[in-house]
Amino acid sequence: MKQQISLDINGRVYDLVISHRDLLVDVLRKKLGLTGTKKGCGNGDCAACTVQVDGEPTLSCLTLAISCQGKKIITVEGLAQPGGALHPIQEAFVNQGAIQCGYCTPGMVMSAKALLDKNPKPTLEEIKLAISGNLCRCTGYKRIIEAIEIAAATMSAQEVK
Amino acid sequence: MYTNEFEYLAPTTPAEAFELVGRLGSKARILAGGTDLVVLMKDKLTSPEYVIDIKNIKEFKGIKYELGKGMTIGATTKISEVQYSEIVQEKYPALAYAASQLGGTQVRHMGTIGGNTCNASPSGETPTPLVALGAKVVLSSAAGERELPLEDFITGVRRLDLKEGEILTRFILPEPSPKSVSRYTYAGARDAMEIDCVNMAVNFELEDDKETIKYVKFVLGSVFIKPLVSKEVPALLIGQKFSDALVEKAVAAAQGEAKPISDVRASEWYRNEMVGNLTRRLLKEAFAAAREV
Ligand SMILES: Cc1cc2nc3c(=O)[nH]c(=O)nc-3n(C[C@H](O)[C@H](O)[C@H](O)COP(=O)(O)OP(=O)(O)OC[C@H]3O[C@@H](n4cnc5c(N)ncnc54)[C@H](O)[C@@H]3O)c2cc1C
Ligand code: FES
Ligand code: FES
Repeated sequence: MKQQISLDINGRVYDLVISHRDLLVDVLRKKLGLTGTKKGCGNGDCAACTVQVDGEPTLSCLTLAISCQGKKIITVEGLAQPGGALHPIQEAFVNQGAIQCGYCTPGMVMSAKALLDKNPKPTLEEIKLAISGNLCRCTGYKRIIEAIEIAAATMSAQEVK
Repeated sequence: MYTNEFEYLAPTTPAEAFELVGRLGSKARILAGGTDLVVLMKDKLTSPEYVIDIKNIKEFKGIKYELGKGMTIGATTKISEVQYSEIVQEKYPALAYAASQLGGTQVRHMGTIGGNTCNASPSGETPTPLVALGAKVVLSSAAGERELPLEDFITGVRRLDLKEGEILTRFILPEPSPKSVSRYTYAGARDAMEIDCVNMAVNFELEDDKETIKYVKFVLGSVFIKPLVSKEVPALLIGQKFSDALVEKAVAAAQGEAKPISDVRASEWYRNEMVGNLTRRLLKEAFAAAREV
């Protein structure tokens, strides 16, 4: 079944024709060229594909694109600040060396964003929980956790969303 | 990997959903959070012609509690909502804790409590505490509703007493006895994102002397084809004063009743050891908590 739908992604409405079976991750990457979102396992196990749907951290590899009509989708591309500056979470990841190969990074950043939107001052334990579904095979997680702590502090100070 | 081609349907009212589920029968699958179904469809373990998404039906979601009457939890309530609900944490702590241990953050924000039961995996996280807490399921269709204890609804591995045309719409939890406590524990390879090799829940109450056991419902998960309601542990404990020696008898009884299998996650021997260790830990934890209420 093909159908025309509208998706609200990063504040812009896209009209596109999709198959009912199309997964959000494939629509983002292949139809819209938003390749920031990564597909790792395709089975829910790695969270590289995490985006926000109506604010919630969502695995785009297990989400039917058609089910996202009328919802607000934010991908890593949507984090850019006015003038193209990096979001404080992204900046903290860069500064802390929380990125090696980078494949897990968009999913980590989006999971951190979903956490900090709801809970601007998370404890260490809450940060670990928020990324407990995200796999990283390079960094050992320590610097990722530190980056999220720093981002939380910066964002609270600057009142960035 | 792709799923088969199918037609996606998203009813917004219960009546529309019942009509679709009734008319399309076995050609359709119900979709809630999709964290089980989409994986199964990608693996081609199921290839429905229609997928009926029930998440947009507001009557099927949400947590309602009335003092003295108990709680209803809509089938499409997210696992994360159950985990963070203050009233669930207060009245049914075993359920809130089990919800907090399911998958990772993303899976808990997508997956639903109804999907966890309807997936009917023996290692499922929430059916075990729900059964211990005396939960009933409400199965609804165009023809009406029926209620069933959860332990009778799940009949085996991926098997339910769900008739064609029916949707699980909500869980009903009785008001907990004021002096009772509920607890949940599990064992798996790591904390996050694993599937339990054994889990268990208990609903437990002491007499006013704070020594004698008044009530126990003890349920084991992942050691049988469905949540296993222990008969022997309550028979041993009720009316007796709590002691280490009594706990050891209960441990042996639980190990005798469990029928674990060997699989990718653990051997039969390991599971049996874990049944013993967890039973001991859980009963002691419940006893300590029950003395405080
Ligand atoms: C990475 C990962 C980790 C996981 N970890 C755990 C874990 O630790 N513990 C655990 O227990 N589970 C785990 N799961 C499994 C899954 O997330 C849970 O079982 C979840 O609660 C399923 O809910 P859902 O809404 O996503 O179900 P769906 O996938 O939408 O549905 C599951 C099944 O139930 C049927 N169904 C759903 N709702 C209804 C209804 N209301 N009436 C009738 N039928 C219905 C569907 O047709 C389907 O057959 C994990 C899954 C993933 C991907
Ligand atoms: S690609 Fe979605 S969880 Fe791995
Ligand atoms: S940086 Fe390589 S997987 Fe995380």
